[in-house]
Amino acid sequence: MKKLMLATILAGAVALPAMAADYTIIAPANPGGGWDQTARTMQAVLQDEGISSSVQVQNVPGAGGTIGLAQFASQNEGNANALIVGGYVMVGAILTNNAPVGLDAVTPIARLTGEYEAIVVPAASPIQTIEELVEALKADPGAVSWAGGSAGGTDHIAVGLLAKAAGVDPTKINYIAYSGGGEALAAILGSQVTAGISSLGEFVAQIDSGTLRLLAVSSEERIEGVDAPTLKEVGLDVVLQNWRMVAAAPGLSDEQKAAVSADIEAMVKSASWQEQLATKGWADTYLAGAEFDAQLAADITATETVLKDIGLVK
Amino acid sequence: MSAFDFLLQGLATASDPMLLFYALIGVTLGTAVGVLPGIGPALTVALLLPVTYRLDPAGSLIMFAGIYYGGMYGGSTTSILLNTPGESASIITALEGNKMARKGRGGPALATAAIGSFVAGLIATLLLAFLAPHVVKLALVFGPREYFALMVLAFVTVSSAFGDSTLRGLTSLFLGFGLACVGIDQLTGQARMSFGVPDLLDGIEVTTLAVAMFAVGEALAIAALGNTGEDKVHAVKGSVWMNRSDWSRSWKPWLRGTFIGFPIGAMPAGGAEIGTFLSYATEKKLTKHPEEFGHGAIEGVAGPEAANNASAAGTLVPLLTLGLPTTATAAIMLAGFQQFGLQPGPLLFATNPELVWGLIASLLIANAMLLVLNLPMIGLWVKLLTIPKPWLYAGILLFATLGTIGANPSTFELGMLLVFGLVGYGMRVFGYPIAPIVVGLILSPMAEQQLRRALSISQGDWTVLLTSPIAAVMLGIAALALIVPLVMRMRGRGAVLSQLAGDED
Amino acid sequence: MSLKQYEIQRRPDWAALIIAAGLAVFGAVILWDSARLADLGGYSGVGPGTVPRVVGIGLILLAVWTVAAALRGDFPERPRQQPAPVLWIIAGLAGQLILLKIAGFSIATGVLFALTARAFGKRNLTLTLPVGIAISFVVWIVFSQLLMLNLPAGPLEHLFFGGAR
Repeated sequence: MKKLMLATILAGAVALPAMAADYTIIAPANPGGGWDQTARTMQAVLQDEGISSSVQVQNVPGAGGTIGLAQFASQNEGNANALIVGGYVMVGAILTNNAPVGLDAVTPIARLTGEYEAIVVPAASPIQTIEELVEALKADPGAVSWAGGSAGGTDHIAVGLLAKAAGVDPTKINYIAYSGGGEALAAILGSQVTAGISSLGEFVAQIDSGTLRLLAVSSEERIEGVDAPTLKEVGLDVVLQNWRMVAAAPGLSDEQKAAVSADIEAMVKSASWQEQLATKGWADTYLAGAEFDAQLAADITATETVLKDIGLVK
Repeated sequence: MSAFDFLLQGLATASDPMLLFYALIGVTLGTAVGVLPGIGPALTVALLLPVTYRLDPAGSLIMFAGIYYGGMYGGSTTSILLNTPGESASIITALEGNKMARKGRGGPALATAAIGSFVAGLIATLLLAFLAPHVVKLALVFGPREYFALMVLAFVTVSSAFGDSTLRGLTSLFLGFGLACVGIDQLTGQARMSFGVPDLLDGIEVTTLAVAMFAVGEALAIAALGNTGEDKVHAVKGSVWMNRSDWSRSWKPWLRGTFIGFPIGAMPAGGAEIGTFLSYATEKKLTKHPEEFGHGAIEGVAGPEAANNASAAGTLVPLLTLGLPTTATAAIMLAGFQQFGLQPGPLLFATNPELVWGLIASLLIANAMLLVLNLPMIGLWVKLLTIPKPWLYAGILLFATLGTIGANPSTFELGMLLVFGLVGYGMRVFGYPIAPIVVGLILSPMAEQQLRRALSISQGDWTVLLTSPIAAVMLGIAALALIVPLVMRMRGRGAVLSQLAGDED
Repeated sequence: MSLKQYEIQRRPDWAALIIAAGLAVFGAVILWDSARLADLGGYSGVGPGTVPRVVGIGLILLAVWTVAAALRGDFPERPRQQPAPVLWIIAGLAGQLILLKIAGFSIATGVLFALTARAFGKRNLTLTLPVGIAISFVVWIVFSQLLMLNLPAGPLEHLFFGGAR
């Protein structure tokens, strides 16, 4: 009798068809970070726009997203309803942690948003321009301390690239890693370090109020409304975008991939997504299909080189 | 319009019955999720934030404030009654609070926690409203070396939770240090003690260790005693309410806890738990009833609980004035504020006074609502202890694992819960105190990182630790606090002091 | 202190010696691991291996101290321990861990509930198991459906709320 009941329950569970477009989004980080916010914003927009009737966000934190990525890849083979949020930081984390599962184990769908790196000094600092900072770096790399995010993350990579472009040994940079943007910002504001580097958005309010001086940004061209040169302009060939993306499970059929891509495109094109980006100050850097795949491959190669230069990857 | 007028206006708006109702819902939800061991305020706010989106700005702001304070407060109830701290900031509360509950004084313990939280929340919110721009300037003076000195000072406070044996206290602390070595080194990205296991790369979660040590270890230890002998736990003995002596012993710790917790919460790398440690040590030093510490001293609940809630308001100082999210909770709140069109930063108080004062008024209302909700509940909560043991402990383990699963649904995390639960059981059997291992796990990575940052900035010059006056003073206090009792113990062979040190965890 | 107790404590405390051995092993593992780390101290002079080295040495010193205390019989007397209830709870936690992904939150946690109750003397599993599963299911509904907390679902959860995965 018990067996029969169990069998009925199991049959019932199996018989229930997977409802179309019921997404589960994995945010491979703790609540509060950029990936978590991206996932939760996607959740809100997908539901509000009626693209999906029910979206769940699940946090699988750990090791720069590599734990979430590994779990996602192994548990969702062929599951078109599972999505994972990720980004550039993951590229570096996979390399530094020597992670067994890389981005080739999932199906990248699209780049969603991105932020450029900004280099700042406290308002009281004697350093006025990026050229002066680079001169100081060349004179004595140890005396220029940089506050930024986690070791091997986007900020650290950017400083490594900058040093290399300026002809300074990247292993000699005095990079002080902080666990969160807030802590690093406090250290910069308190003049504990020489300079700071992080996503532009982290600094905007301080720059506007005049407590920080923006020296340069890491974009290809000048950013509208931002009064600072690009690193390229001053002869340092460094362009770096800290992007966030969404990927689907491995082993999807072409139709399934197309369906997910269409849903994401509909989300990105919606008014409420654009509204969310505006309130959060995220730039829309939507890029999908073959172009995104190519950019991803290029980023992975470049990152591996610089992490080797800094000495974080052997 | 002056700041005071804005505040009054905000309060007037918030006293609309519908808004009060939202505040009540927010506080109830926040407390309900916050009580789960292992689910801290960060996850509570992240989970419940979407609930607020559906309301108009005033309604969602006030509900949000309720969720935040409710989530911060929630952990203390389970700490006191079940010895299972919900998050790191209520570990210290469990030390004395649970001892009180076992003696049938759970009512007063909960009451002093609730009223202390209210008093601290009230004062700290007012401090936030009127002093935030000044406090934040002070907080920014703190660089790596000052933080290192603060951590050293906090380390000294652990020794007050060592119990009757220095050997066992130190062992417990060093076990915590050892566990803290696990994971990626923040400053160089090197994996330490992780043996190629990806799940270990992020280190050992404090809440997992705390829930395992307190809840699982406790359940095992009590079960191992078997059903021999009568249950030593009394639900209620004497009044459920605080008596005159409870009041007179509580009010000073409330105030001291507030003034310790608020500035530390306001520091970008302070953290709520540090305030609770310092408050506990202070109360233990100042109390007129040192013999009660370790056996349920009400000061040991009143002070840390006030410090915990004051630091919750303190966290808002850098968030509102600088746009600095200094904790995970604050980062989620930042996202929440943006939803209300409130862009925290240096110009916030100037450009958006209505919203800021609306938020502060909401926090005051939520704080009052918390008291309204919790005081009548105390009678009900203490009844929890009258549940027969099999059901009570089955329920404790249900909720302890629910918290762990909800925060991170991985079998690895549950495995750690089991392993550390066994360690916690072993430690109880052999008389090792539990608090130092958890405190060691919290403090040692912070101290290590700040020390290495300080030395990196100074390019290896150790004297910088003493050239900052703030750091030097704190290190000096720490040294005195360590050496003086040691000398006294040597002289008097510790007859008096070991009495003071209390016993077990 | 009675004479009899005194005599018991004079003998070396074997359990304490085992604890000492455990501490020494833990310390040694930390030292071994830190030796493997690259010296990336950079400008600080304090690298990723420095603090683990201090902790490892500290643990080994504490192990030595523990041995001394054990030989002197300085460890407190321990109440008699009953192994059976402890094993029941361990079985409950292990059962939940194994069943969680397969059977979902309610059934797995129901097993933990029932076995914990068993450890504390409620032997009737035909009563405690259904009660445990029912309570866990209610908890699951409240936290996963109303508060959107992500708790693993299994056959039971799917039966009532549908949806795959």
